[in-house]
Order: sequence, then C-alpha cells, then structure tokens
Amino acid sequence: MAAAAPEWATKEPCLMGIDEAGRGPVLGPMVYGCMYCARSYNNTLATLKFADSKTLKEEQREELFESLKVNSCIGWEVDVICPKDLSAKMLKKSKVNLNEISHNSAMGLVRKVLDMGVLLAEVYIDTVGDPEKYRIKLAEKFPGIKFVVAKKADSLYPVVSGASIVAKVTRDRALRNWVFDETALNMHMKTGSGYPGDPDTKQWLEDHKHPVFGFPTLVRFSWGTCTPFFKDAVEVTWETDELDEDATNSGTAKRQVKLSSLGFTGFKRKTEEIESSGKGRCKFFQARKLELVRKF
Amino acid sequence: MEHATPPAAAAAGVTATVDLSPAAANLGGAQLLPCVIRQNAAAPVSDYFKPRSTGVEVEGVKVEEAFFRGRKLQGATLALPDGYRGYVLEKKSGEKDTQNSDGEFSSFVSRAEFQSITYWNHDVTPSAEDSIPRCFHWLTVANAMHKPVTAEELSNISALQNQDN
Repeated sequence: MAAAAPEWATKEPCLMGIDEAGRGPVLGPMVYGCMYCARSYNNTLATLKFADSKTLKEEQREELFESLKVNSCIGWEVDVICPKDLSAKMLKKSKVNLNEISHNSAMGLVRKVLDMGVLLAEVYIDTVGDPEKYRIKLAEKFPGIKFVVAKKADSLYPVVSGASIVAKVTRDRALRNWVFDETALNMHMKTGSGYPGDPDTKQWLEDHKHPVFGFPTLVRFSWGTCTPFFKDAVEVTWETDELDEDATNSGTAKRQVKLSSLGFTGFKRKTEEIESSGKGRCKFFQARKLELVRKF
Repeated sequence: MEHATPPAAAAAGVTATVDLSPAAANLGGAQLLPCVIRQNAAAPVSDYFKPRSTGVEVEGVKVEEAFFRGRKLQGATLALPDGYRGYVLEKKSGEKDTQNSDGEFSSFVSRAEFQSITYWNHDVTPSAEDSIPRCFHWLTVANAMHKPVTAEELSNISALQNQDN
C-alpha cells in the first residue's frame, strides 16, 4: 500500500540519502531512514543545518525532524527492523549476517520510493562493508540510478544527514515508546546507549536477564554483548544445531536426535543400546520418530 | 490410585506405577519446543513465551509464531484425540523394588494435565508431514490392532474369502 509521491518528485530528477541508526547496540530496533528532494533543491537543503545526527543533541534532532516533516520539498521513509527479527535472522539455520540485513533494508527503501513513483536519479548512502562492492550490488539491482557509497556519507552529503536524523529520531522514539511483549515484573527502559561500555546498559542487562528465557525480546540475542550473560543461564540445546553437527560428523542429517542422547529421559543407557535403538523397527515408527521406551 | 502396567513393559521385566489421582493443574495446552532446556524446575512461561497467531494457514495447519532465546519458532496446535488426555508426570524417587533387574522401581505421579500440544519448529513452517502430527497416526493404528474383532466382522471376512475361492 505505497503512498503516492509528491508531484515534484515524479517530474524532476531527485536525490536521495540513506542512513541507519542503531546498528551496533545490543537492544532495540535497527532503523533505516531515507530522505529525498528534487535535485534543484539540494543547495537550499545544505542551508538547513542537517548535520550528522550523532553530532546533534536529542532535542535538536527532534526539532529538525519536525521541520523536515512539514517541509513540502522533502520526502522521507523509514524501515524499522525490530530486535526479534534481527535475532531471528542471525540465529536461523542458514544465518543472515547484519551486513546483508542492512543491505536488504536499504534496497527495500529504494524499491519503496521507486514504487511510489519518485524519479530517483542519485542515491547517497553510508557504506556497510566494502564501499565498492556495495555500490556494484546496488547498481546491479537498480540500473539507471547513480549510487554514491561512502564512509561517513552522513557528514558529507546533506541528504544523508537528513536521512540520519529521520533514522535516529525514529529509533529513539521506538525505544521511548517501547511496549514489552513480556509481562515479567520490574522491567524498565533505562537502557543506556545499548553499547557494552555503557554502565546503564550493563545494569539493564543485569536487571533483565532470566536463567531460562535469556532476555526480553528487546534484546538482540545474537550480539556478543549477551554472551557473558548466558554463561550463568540454563543450557539450551537445539535440535537444529544437533542435526548440523551430525551432518558434519557423519555425512548424514537423517539420524534422529534422541531424547535419551539429549539427557531427557534421565535414564542413562549403555552405549550399545543407544546405537541399536531404532534399528530394526519398522519404517512406520522410524518415520514418526517413535521409539519403544522400556526403561524410564 | 490407578496402577498401569503396560503389557510390553511387564514382559521386559519393568514395572512402573502411575498415580493420576492428585487434582492436577490444568495447563490447557502443553508447548513442545525443538530444544532441550537443561533445567527441571518451574519457569514463568506465560510471562516470557508469547505465542501469537500469524493468520497464515498452510494446508489446513494454522501457523503460530513465538520467540525463544532469540530464535523464531513456528508452531501448530494439535488437540488430543477423543479419549486421550495428556499428563505431566513427576518421578517419585527413592522407592526400591526387587522386580526390576536394576533394583529400580519407577513410580510417577501426575502434576498437570493438558488437552492439546503446540509443537514448535525452528526455521521450518509446520505441516501435516511433521513427525509430531504423524505420531498421532499410531493411535489409529493401535486402536485398529487392539480393538476386539466382532462376530459380524469375522463373518464378513470369511464371506469375502469364500468369494475369492
């Protein structure tokens, strides 16, 4: 359900900047934002003081965001990737890394804006990974658009600075208005920056860790910052991980993961019993992973 | 107290007693996760584990979604067939019995009851081909195998055989 683009954007070639907020922190969403304007408006844009969002105070960013929202010569969009989606993608059987998630989000914004009818001529974007490889990836996906991929693009190009404000303000608001899925008691949102060096973040993680569930879904479980907290947690072994190991060890993923081998039945069997169980049973039982348990 | 001694187990020389009499908590549904959580204790499941319907239906299977330890799980709920009930059993320890060759006597007591199972897959959309729903086939097969044959069925079979001859 793409909204229609402003009329000027469908008639005049446009510039767009793309930037991200919240790529590094251990908690909260990662937000990709974009801002576009007519090429002829770029000089005016440069006078609007859209500095890199990181150099601005929160109130200044909020003010600038409100001013660009009412500016009829500017268009913007955001893509909010919630932390549970980030964790889930990075912990999938076929893992998707953060660079790929970032690339997909940025490309999703380009696609969305094009679908709205915006006449995109040039896109400026802060790099993720190698700038030239990223530029080629973008150019192949969207022929006809000139991509400029640069380190610190947010401080070099006003459209990217604008995009970084859109992204940063959206992330800050998402965290401010965060509603926990979890209904555990005494949860709070004094999260700090989300970086491991921040004492508030450390304290927040300490306050919200749970031996069985780990953390609320505000946290990105796939982040290294979480690892030390899982040392004291209850050990969890996944069937999908076990299958992976089996596949590498014995060249087959078909072996059943047995509850007994996972220490579930609480009854230790002799090795030969473990090896022979399942064998000789008819296919009906094998296919359904039904095992006759004689001792429990 | 009910004592259940499955014939197969008795043949193998193992005796187990199951006490289903305590008024057990009714869980409604039990959750079967694709992982082992190496802890045997209560946990605040309903505070942290929040299944929701996705609105997606694949070949009649209503797909649910939940997250555990950062992983996305997709699940489906199976009602237990008529005549079956699910129990969470706790093993009573410390009781000895000479019948068991290992000198161990298994005795269980029910702690909770459930009428449905939601099984969860990691990374795979649930389908009727999953082993958990297919396990239920055994109940139909077992029923057919153990149901007493009626005189009527017997005469039908012999009638059929006579036709073939």
